[in-house]
Amino acid sequence: MTVPSGPAPAAVPAVRCRSLGVSFGAVRALHDVSLDLAPGRIHALVGQNGAGKTTLVKVLGGLQAPDSGEVHIAGRKLPSGDARAARAAGLAMVHQHFSLPPSFTVAEALELTAFRPGGRSVYRRAELRRRWRTAAAEIGGEAVLSTRIRDLPVETRQSLEIVRALATDARVVILDEPTALLTPTAIDTLFERLRRLRDDGVTVLVVLHKLREVAAAADTVSVLRDGELVLGPSEMSELSQGQLSDAIVGPASGADRAVGVEAAANGERQTLLELVRVSSRESAFEPGLRRIDLSVDTSEIVGIAGVEGNGQRSLVSVIAGLDAVVEGSMVLGGTEMTSAPSARRRLRGLRLVPFDRNSEGISRRAPVWLNQSALRLIGRHPRRFPLISLRQYKRQAAEAMDHWQVRYDSVTQPAESLSGGNVQRLILSREMAPGLEVLVAAQPTRGLDFAATNFVRRSLRGLRDAGAGVLLVSSDLDELFELSDRLLVMYGGSIVARFEAPYDRRAVGDAMTGALR
Amino acid sequence: MTGGLQRLASTVVLVGFSFLLTALILWISGYGVGDVFSGTIQGAITATGAATSTVRWAIPLLLIGLGVVIGFRAGFFNIGGQGQFYMGACAALVVALGWREGPATLVILCGTAAAIIAGLSWSLLPGYLRVRFGTDEVLTTLMMNFIGALVLQYLTAGPMRNPSGTGQTAASERIPEAFRITDSSGVSATVLLLVGAVAVLVWLLLERTRFGLTMTLVGRNPTMARWQGIDVRRVGLVTFGLSGALAGLAGAVELHGPGARLVTGFSPEVGFTAVVVALVGLLSVWGTVVAAIFFGGLQSAILFLPIVTDLPPPALVLLHGMVAFLVTVKLRAVRRRRTGSASEAVTS
Repeated sequence: MTVPSGPAPAAVPAVRCRSLGVSFGAVRALHDVSLDLAPGRIHALVGQNGAGKTTLVKVLGGLQAPDSGEVHIAGRKLPSGDARAARAAGLAMVHQHFSLPPSFTVAEALELTAFRPGGRSVYRRAELRRRWRTAAAEIGGEAVLSTRIRDLPVETRQSLEIVRALATDARVVILDEPTALLTPTAIDTLFERLRRLRDDGVTVLVVLHKLREVAAAADTVSVLRDGELVLGPSEMSELSQGQLSDAIVGPASGADRAVGVEAAANGERQTLLELVRVSSRESAFEPGLRRIDLSVDTSEIVGIAGVEGNGQRSLVSVIAGLDAVVEGSMVLGGTEMTSAPSARRRLRGLRLVPFDRNSEGISRRAPVWLNQSALRLIGRHPRRFPLISLRQYKRQAAEAMDHWQVRYDSVTQPAESLSGGNVQRLILSREMAPGLEVLVAAQPTRGLDFAATNFVRRSLRGLRDAGAGVLLVSSDLDELFELSDRLLVMYGGSIVARFEAPYDRRAVGDAMTGALR
Repeated sequence: MTGGLQRLASTVVLVGFSFLLTALILWISGYGVGDVFSGTIQGAITATGAATSTVRWAIPLLLIGLGVVIGFRAGFFNIGGQGQFYMGACAALVVALGWREGPATLVILCGTAAAIIAGLSWSLLPGYLRVRFGTDEVLTTLMMNFIGALVLQYLTAGPMRNPSGTGQTAASERIPEAFRITDSSGVSATVLLLVGAVAVLVWLLLERTRFGLTMTLVGRNPTMARWQGIDVRRVGLVTFGLSGALAGLAGAVELHGPGARLVTGFSPEVGFTAVVVALVGLLSVWGTVVAAIFFGGLQSAILFLPIVTDLPPPALVLLHGMVAFLVTVKLRAVRRRRTGSASEAVTS
């Protein structure tokens, strides 16, 4: 790797923090973190879920006042916990969660939040569009400028957050897990963009999950584990993949042995889920299904590949019973279910890991036990006494969560207090309960760290081996190649290609971009 | 648990603060603050018949307030208690006056059933608009209050008017004495048993049934509830129905109890006060019971005070308003937290 004009050792670090400590109650989020980031480089920050990455990033951006320690930008000490001062010092942030007001149009949001000089208090729409035309090119053209934020698909919202941060004349850009929601192509574009920024002398700090992405993007890497800086910043060129993953995971804990899954298998091969020429209505940013034929049998994982926004969301919603079938039919477990309500499908053994785990998968403010028990609330139990025992619900939830190694303090804590990986384990503990026949898993490992990703993949495989059918929708090709027995590619709401292992990456890629049509 | 204690403490502080502000305003206006507060205590507790009067006013507040609690649990803000209460009372009146010769028990039961159905329907209309079209239920339930008040006015000034009435405001004929479940004090064993049973049932529904848990999930995150196979619209309709049914029941209790007849615009504040009662009661069933007694005491004191002080009757309403104001400020924060994630998905 060529390092552009390696900074002289004496150069003032672009970002320097000294002995940062942050605690939330009894939880120590950061402990004695000291870090110097050389100017004009791309620095990666990695670590497991809950290692303190987001906290560190928030402290740097002035959004979280540290209990101890200090932050310097370009040699000047920042007042602690002052986001304005951080921005004035040339630091821009791209958050993990969306921060733009949903009711604004893209142009309005950019004008309001990007702090680009030259704006006026009173504006005309045409003028706004002119000002932001170049920026809009990055996110799908000028037409997007008058779209409201809430109508944008997740991917575009994410890109917009990045565009917004980069629109200011920032000297330091911090991105918290920017790739979590992006397609592989969009990730390449993002990294290309970060490299251009670096070449312009901007210092970039990016929080990443996948080691492959770290290798592709970063000049240096720093590793956080349990709130402490255990490695770095070290030059990527001087590190082996093994050293890096050891630093992230730490001494082997044995916490991640495979979890057995009980599925309702009876040995015989049969079709569990079948869609015949199914079409559905399009939504604002996603094509509807166009005459989809698809089946999932016992003991197989069927992968769905495709660039995001090509109907995957429609597919999962149609199977779940949340979007209506306009034409065609669907059979689940041998029963016609084309227009059956969602609850009946669930009771027939359909289980779901939704795309967005924090809004669709759990209720953030409901206690974990209630989130875990949600599937017990549907269906009628006419003969049963109407009053229930909460203690029994809580105990069973706790047992299931222990079995799936969800890390929690108390069953009554709100689900939002769990880390991303633990939220996914909570969802799996609920969905993979006995009675499962077909699991539809949408982006089940997105945004998860290394250990949690492996855990989820092992669980899916375990499910297949126990006789269940799995439909895996993912934008991670490596994951699809590793897990799928068959692979279907979606493009524009249709299935345009079907592959069997071993997979030809180029052929699949061509199908994803529509080159086969 | 600490979170619950914190909320309790903040509510107690808020009510205490309202007392302070009211005292300050009364003091500035030149009234004897000491007299007013000792009068309040007398009017709510110690004077002859004051405790009974407190309970009498607590009953409608509690019934309507429990309806508000139910609505909130599933994420809906039903402030239409006043209109649902009026419609319930009107339905009970129509039954009682239309069947004067009927056996008393049967008439009371039918009147109560009619009141429940009337309150329920008055609430289901905005409920349907909410789950089907996403119409803001705060607006629609509020507007339905005015329509309910006009229906009451129409009945008392029109078909049900007491022709021999001499008062300035239109009033209906009295229902036969046999159809009453309390004397004019408004408190009897029957009513207390009924209200107690309702409170226990609501508590069981919310805290010990699968439907109660379902309501909680829908209230916290309807999107997630949909993904879990929960029929969010059905839950919404049932919730609105139950909420309105309780307000309708309060109307029947009012007519068959202390009222015995309906007067145009009677108990004009009870619907809104019940919302405040539910909020001060921290949206829990037992908290609402305590808050209803507290506000029942205030109402009783408001009626008593002019007897012992030179205070004009509306002066204590100030205290009322002060609590309502501060609670609303607190509520805004709660609603804002909820709407971000929740309200959209209910309609889709």
